[in-house]
Amino acid sequence: MKNLNLILAGVFFTVAAPFGGLLLSGHAQLGSLGRAPAEEGGQLYPLKEPGLAIQGRQVYLELGCIACHTQQVRPAGQGSDIAQGWGTRPSVARDYVQQSQLALGHRRLGPDLANYGVRAKSEAEIAAHLLTPAAGSSMPAYASLFSKAKDGTLQPNERGTALIAYLKSLRQDYSSPEAKLKQ
Amino acid sequence: MRQENQVPRPPESGAPRISRVDASVSTPVKYFFASALVWLLVSSVLAVITAVKLHVPSFLNECELLSYGRLDAVQRNLFFYGWASNALMGLNLWLLASLGQFEFRNAWVATVGGLIWNLTLTVGVLVLSLGTQNGFELLELPREVAPGFFIAFLLAALWPAVAFARRPTSQVFVSQWYVLGASFVLPVVYLLTQLMVLWFPTNGVLPALVHSWFLQNFLYLWLGASALAAIYYFLPKELGTTIRGYYLASIGFWTFFLFAGWTGPATLLGSPLPLWIQSTGVVAAVMLLIPLTVISINFFGTLGRDQGWSRAWNNTTLRFMAFGALSFTLATLLQIIFSARSLNAIVRFTAFTSGQQQLLAYGFVSMVIFGAAYYILPRLTGAFWPSAKLVHLHFWSSALALTVLVLSSLVLGWSQGSAVAAGKPFAYLAENYLALIGTACAVFFLIGHAAFAINAFGMLISRSPSTEQGRRA
Repeated sequence: MKNLNLILAGVFFTVAAPFGGLLLSGHAQLGSLGRAPAEEGGQLYPLKEPGLAIQGRQVYLELGCIACHTQQVRPAGQGSDIAQGWGTRPSVARDYVQQSQLALGHRRLGPDLANYGVRAKSEAEIAAHLLTPAAGSSMPAYASLFSKAKDGTLQPNERGTALIAYLKSLRQDYSSPEAKLKQ
Repeated sequence: MRQENQVPRPPESGAPRISRVDASVSTPVKYFFASALVWLLVSSVLAVITAVKLHVPSFLNECELLSYGRLDAVQRNLFFYGWASNALMGLNLWLLASLGQFEFRNAWVATVGGLIWNLTLTVGVLVLSLGTQNGFELLELPREVAPGFFIAFLLAALWPAVAFARRPTSQVFVSQWYVLGASFVLPVVYLLTQLMVLWFPTNGVLPALVHSWFLQNFLYLWLGASALAAIYYFLPKELGTTIRGYYLASIGFWTFFLFAGWTGPATLLGSPLPLWIQSTGVVAAVMLLIPLTVISINFFGTLGRDQGWSRAWNNTTLRFMAFGALSFTLATLLQIIFSARSLNAIVRFTAFTSGQQQLLAYGFVSMVIFGAAYYILPRLTGAFWPSAKLVHLHFWSSALALTVLVLSSLVLGWSQGSAVAAGKPFAYLAENYLALIGTACAVFFLIGHAAFAINAFGMLISRSPSTEQGRRA
């Protein structure tokens, strides 16, 4: 091969092909995806995110929680996520249409959090876990999310409250046109 | 290993000689290697800290600046943008000049590009440490770094490639195709990714798709293609032979570039992306068998004759290169095999995938860079490597740490994945073993890199004749 222009043109094609074939086609299919009701005329899902939860996602990303936690439930044939109790149905693209910043994650040093809001019983339980993670886990304590209240106890501060609200808002326990809940 | 073979020497006799071609790119190439080394050292220290944190979570946990998630991101970015990318920009520039016997007129342009690159990276990492981050591996730096990186790369990598391409010549070698391809792919893919993921993002899962496309392009077509270029150059050069099956090399090149760009979704099996996208990725990953076969025939065919393996073992540069070539074959093979849905279901999200990435980014790319540095730096400085012992120490600590780390990641990742798949509750047990092994390996990496750095800086500082001297000689 002597013609360098030919090489550059060929390489340009090899970049353009997956860009068009994957990304633009993907955009055509997913770009206009919106919320959908679980049943005819019902409530639209996923629910609108509370403002506090949106702030909380920022804290989640700032702390790098994503280094160890994912937020995606794989279908039953593809891993044991559902058997692990991390969700009752697989995650689908529609579950994420409200999210301006995606946090799917790529590594599980800790459990999946796609349905953590369903599993966690209360805000207090989440707070306790952030302050003193389970023994033997490789999760560090996040003392900076707490400050001393007037009665001397440690209470979540502004960022802590936001993160807890975000974690509590994580749920994919509704029926979606692409993934119906089993009755 | 004989002393004469081990330390590459500049041409014989008296005053140090630097060829005119080498002299024309000496300043930028030395600059790129020196800054790459500094980043490598910083990232190695951070790697030790993050490794310790995995089994002692309370270690250095007083402030958020030092939280695991943040340090992990900083470390990764320094390794890929600071170490690997800097070194490869230098290496590619040198390869273009040497192979084409081409004297660059305005090599300072590349130096300016390098300065902008490192300045941008420094600012980006500082901002990242203070706490803006997003969820995409290797895009964690604030989006404002994108223009800096883009311009820097155009000056430091694309400009030399274009200048080279416009020179009057007859022959173009396979290494040069890879350098040209890599230098073209990265800026285009980086720019499009930045626009689609960080500057004008769409809600939902689309950014994850774009990101997977970026990551595979970055790993295979920027880092990978540049390192392949170096192996294609040094293997025949140092063995004094030709590439076996050279006529196949163009098939390898085109299929590699054609398919690697489509493999992104193969890393997202089971994700909320539409199935057809995931399946396209799997098909592309399987198609990588074609370039993998060709490239392996080229490399191992060349090493396999005339006692190539033992001669490679006795030559510092080739020892690293052969290690890199083996790692490339193994890493790509793992990528292909574990794109099978049933296997991927077991290992996805476990240490297995990070072991795969280590094998590619360190076992292949970094080892090739080390090997090339052992050849190039003496020719640019006109000096010798100060210590052969440190060269040994570097090779053995890097090679052993990598082998142990990758093997244990693969084995423990697989065993943890299959335990979880068998319905056992998700547990931290396997991770704890791995964290201990990971810490030991991180320390060995640091020792090896320190040995390399002492040697390299010793040489860079000891004697660096000016360009003028080189020209006269």
